Amino acid sequence: MKTKNFLYSQKVAPYVFVLPFILSFAVFWVYPLITAFTMSFQKITATKTAWVGIANYTKLLKDKVFLIAVANSAKYMFFTLVLLIPFPMIFAVLMDSNIVKAKGVWKAILYMPALTSVVISGTLFRLMFTEYKTGQMNLISQALGFGTYKWLKNGWSGMLALLVLACWRWTGVNMLYFLSGLKAIDTSLYEAADIDGATPIQKFFRVTLPLLKPTTIYVLTISVYAGLAMFLESYMLWAGNSSPNNIGLTIVGYLYKRGIEKNDMGYACAVGVVLLIVALIINFAQLIMNGTFKKED
Amino acid sequence: MAKDKHRDLSHSPSHIVKSVLGTGFFVILCAIIAFPILAGLLASFRPGTELIRRGLAIDLNPTTMTLANYKYLFGGNADSIKYFMWYKNSLLITLTSVVLTLIICYFVAYGLTMYDFKLRNFLFTLVIATMMVPFEILMLPMYKEIIKLHLIDTYAGVIITGLCSASTIFFFRQYLSGLPKELLSAARIDGANEYYISVKIILPLAKPAFASMGILCAMGAWNAILWPLLVLKGAEKFTLPIGLNTLLTPYGNNYDVLIAGSMFGILPIFIIFLLFQKYIIDGMTAGAVKG
Amino acid sequence: MKKKLVSILLCAAMTATLLAGCGSSADTAADSGAAEETTEAAAEETTEAAAEETTEAAADETEEAVAAEEEIPTSTFGDANGTHLEMWTFVELHGQHYGKMAEIWNEQNPDRTIEITCTTYPYGDMHTKLLTSLEAGTGAPDICDVEVGQYPNVVAGLDQWLVPLDDAASPYMATMVPARMQTYQGEDGHYYGAPYHVGATAMYYNVAAMSEAMGISQDEVIAKIDAVVTWDDYVALGEEYKTAIADDSKYWTSVDTGGVDWLWIAMAEYGEDWTGGFEGPANVQLDSVKNMLSMQQEWLKSGLAQISPDGHVDLEAGFQNIMDHNIVSFPKALWYMSRFTNYMPEESGNWYIAKCPVFEVGQKCSVGIGGTGTVVTQQSEAKELAAEFLCWAKMSDEGEQNIWDTLGFDVCNTAQWGVDAFAHDDNNQFNQYFINYPYDVLNEIGMDNIGKISVVAISPTINEYACTTTLNEVLEDPDYSIDDALQEFQDAVDLEQ
Repeated sequence: MKTKNFLYSQKVAPYVFVLPFILSFAVFWVYPLITAFTMSFQKITATKTAWVGIANYTKLLKDKVFLIAVANSAKYMFFTLVLLIPFPMIFAVLMDSNIVKAKGVWKAILYMPALTSVVISGTLFRLMFTEYKTGQMNLISQALGFGTYKWLKNGWSGMLALLVLACWRWTGVNMLYFLSGLKAIDTSLYEAADIDGATPIQKFFRVTLPLLKPTTIYVLTISVYAGLAMFLESYMLWAGNSSPNNIGLTIVGYLYKRGIEKNDMGYACAVGVVLLIVALIINFAQLIMNGTFKKED
Repeated sequence: MAKDKHRDLSHSPSHIVKSVLGTGFFVILCAIIAFPILAGLLASFRPGTELIRRGLAIDLNPTTMTLANYKYLFGGNADSIKYFMWYKNSLLITLTSVVLTLIICYFVAYGLTMYDFKLRNFLFTLVIATMMVPFEILMLPMYKEIIKLHLIDTYAGVIITGLCSASTIFFFRQYLSGLPKELLSAARIDGANEYYISVKIILPLAKPAFASMGILCAMGAWNAILWPLLVLKGAEKFTLPIGLNTLLTPYGNNYDVLIAGSMFGILPIFIIFLLFQKYIIDGMTAGAVKG
Repeated sequence: MKKKLVSILLCAAMTATLLAGCGSSADTAADSGAAEETTEAAAEETTEAAAEETTEAAADETEEAVAAEEEIPTSTFGDANGTHLEMWTFVELHGQHYGKMAEIWNEQNPDRTIEITCTTYPYGDMHTKLLTSLEAGTGAPDICDVEVGQYPNVVAGLDQWLVPLDDAASPYMATMVPARMQTYQGEDGHYYGAPYHVGATAMYYNVAAMSEAMGISQDEVIAKIDAVVTWDDYVALGEEYKTAIADDSKYWTSVDTGGVDWLWIAMAEYGEDWTGGFEGPANVQLDSVKNMLSMQQEWLKSGLAQISPDGHVDLEAGFQNIMDHNIVSFPKALWYMSRFTNYMPEESGNWYIAKCPVFEVGQKCSVGIGGTGTVVTQQSEAKELAAEFLCWAKMSDEGEQNIWDTLGFDVCNTAQWGVDAFAHDDNNQFNQYFINYPYDVLNEIGMDNIGKISVVAISPTINEYACTTTLNEVLEDPDYSIDDALQEFQDAVDLEQ
């Protein structure tokens, strides 16, 4: 009976709830994290491992290709935040309103791209963006009288292709987050607003947006990391990890190049640690500013 | 109820205009989004060489379409047997991991949101931090660990490392933090214990979060490739994405099976989506706080 | 309500198909195939009978069904009582090759039979898995295919990771193409990988399109092609074609911004190697590279060549370009033959294979490109047997015969090249597809005229920089200074060595 009371107390209950996370973290994360961190200070070849101090990090700062990768990832992250937060949010609000008919169909279609295997969607997008005349992008540009264009060989159009692919894959998923977020809003608040004679736009800014904040913060946080860590989209579009003049190279792409293709795990771990630190700084700044760590009243 | 009020307005001319505009917007958006999938679907009814010959052409001419790829896929030949074996494995892994992940993550998030305890912010920081580590650098040490735990070449080894999914915990936490705290104190006053509250009072309110995370987790598990591949050995244990990826080689791609197989591979997650998404619709009702 | 109905229907459909899948996996592949034929051919009666049979069969043979289910997909071949070997590959056909070879081996060596399980993994991930298991010291297979681009990472482990194949390969060494064996040598001079193919580069010409454009017979075109010895001759023939066709959208050839094959040919011809081999250092500022690039710039300016759409000819857009007859000649390794048969069936009978042109008469005219070296790992419990079986399966007469028949490669053991039944087999799909016999071209080139570019630790860096930067600079802008581009290239490579 004693243990039962102990476990049922309000002081102990939270620890019981979070226990699985603590266990999983202790077993599956502590050792790999420490190892990866240690490896970033080592030069690891097939047969021996040597301690090199911060040499990997100093080399990174001078590595032009890495800097290109960082710039690409940062640009990509910025644009995905601009495109993949407000629009899916508006779509979700529309979807939640009573002006759209046959909602189920649209939701299903918007969600489909995320389900399609990357192997196949990569092939489809590569065919659409090919510089050959049969690609859809070139069909459009030819119809408009511009002739064919090398979409995947120029910086701006390469980024455009990446963003089109990102929007295609993730709009539906982000909309889904916002839709479920909208459901956490107590509908009596809208009724109150209606009584006050608020316009739909006022309702959106005064009720929906503030109350959707937890969801928005979530989407923002994962988008920051997903943007910085993007790799698959680039790999799909260029059928591999090399793009002309590295226009599609990203931080994780570079990590992959070093760690897997050149088997230089020490250097790759340094890249990974830098990514971790950058993502953490941006996200913690954002989370603290948004008051996520504040005690709830 | 709010909804009824809207319904009263729904016959006004301005509402019809809005409705046409709103629906029309989604029609256009969905047409664009659906294009590549439609093209892929059409391509699955043609021989793989056609895709190479003409690119991604939308061609509805029924005389050139054939069911050959699907016939082959369902034909009971060696490839088809393997395909459905991978399909089964993927279903098993996906269903198990979705159910376990949702349960575990909900309770962890519940603990992190509903209580004010010493380690709260520290643990939450850890949750966020684990989301930000690129898997590629953890791969090798995690692989060694799984060997030591004798979980190598088992589905348990594939599933276990992802059960405490940081992004799922985070989502639940954000969702739960939007719920009114009065619910808890009201229930405590009624004499309910902590665990009863978490299961019977809050959980039903979190249905939309469960639904969207269920869809998301299913998608992640269904499409995961690198970790399952490291853990599993032997084609009889492979999951569908691993199997489909073996059709792409530097020596040429088997588009016939690949496209048909991928298109058919969308189905289970799509079904999960259809089953779960209706729970996103029944969210909180007005005045839940009072209850 | 509708939604519910749809989802229920979909569920039902899925379950049904899954069950069908499981059901058929219970039979052997051959059986279910036969059953299908009968159902299609005959009327309802047969179907009913078949259905009855299946139910009975299912009731009786549950145990067998389970056994069969385990057997089929794992691709295990050979003698269940023999030594068990595990093999990984990224091309399913490769695995089948070993399966077939294991059965022949068991017939020939009844006292040392083997059982081999071949698992096909996705290409990139198989190498990740192999490296991870080699580094972890456990979990690696006995035998593993390694793609040549990934080979430096694997061979870096030398005899700590891999078993030297010198002894096992020695019976065949006299007739093996030396350049290919050297490609898979380790830094310590031992051979660690067994090759499938030479990957000899040759020129592919579209004789049908040329004959039509130039208004002469195919034999006349072939005579002209055969007369090409140097790049100057090649350009002259190209100009003749361009003049005849008088169409700005048609080109003689396409040059690659996403592949280094042209540069490899140039280096092999001059006997140069930009990697510098194991001794290093790498030097990309070579005469051969400069000559090839400046020649290509000239072609682009004169309209003789275009840039390969999407970077090189071994991609979807490249195949389209070839089938649209926008280019009528290009150099590529002989394994490209399978691209023709797989993706361009409509071109059957149009193409002719010939030696590559050279810069100066007397130079080597080919280079081995691409390939897969198969290794035996130190984690194997039957190293010697595995090595012996591997070398036999990839170098013996029996092995080479099966490689040519099923994989369609230019095999490395030259002993077979001259055998009429082997080289001139008219049932072979490649012999049927091309105007001439591919092995005649190989014999004409000769094993000593096939050059080699080393694949060492610096190779990925070099290839990557060339494909991402240098080739794009020099070819997308044919006025770009080659010297500047190569200096940049060298600086980038120097950072890594």
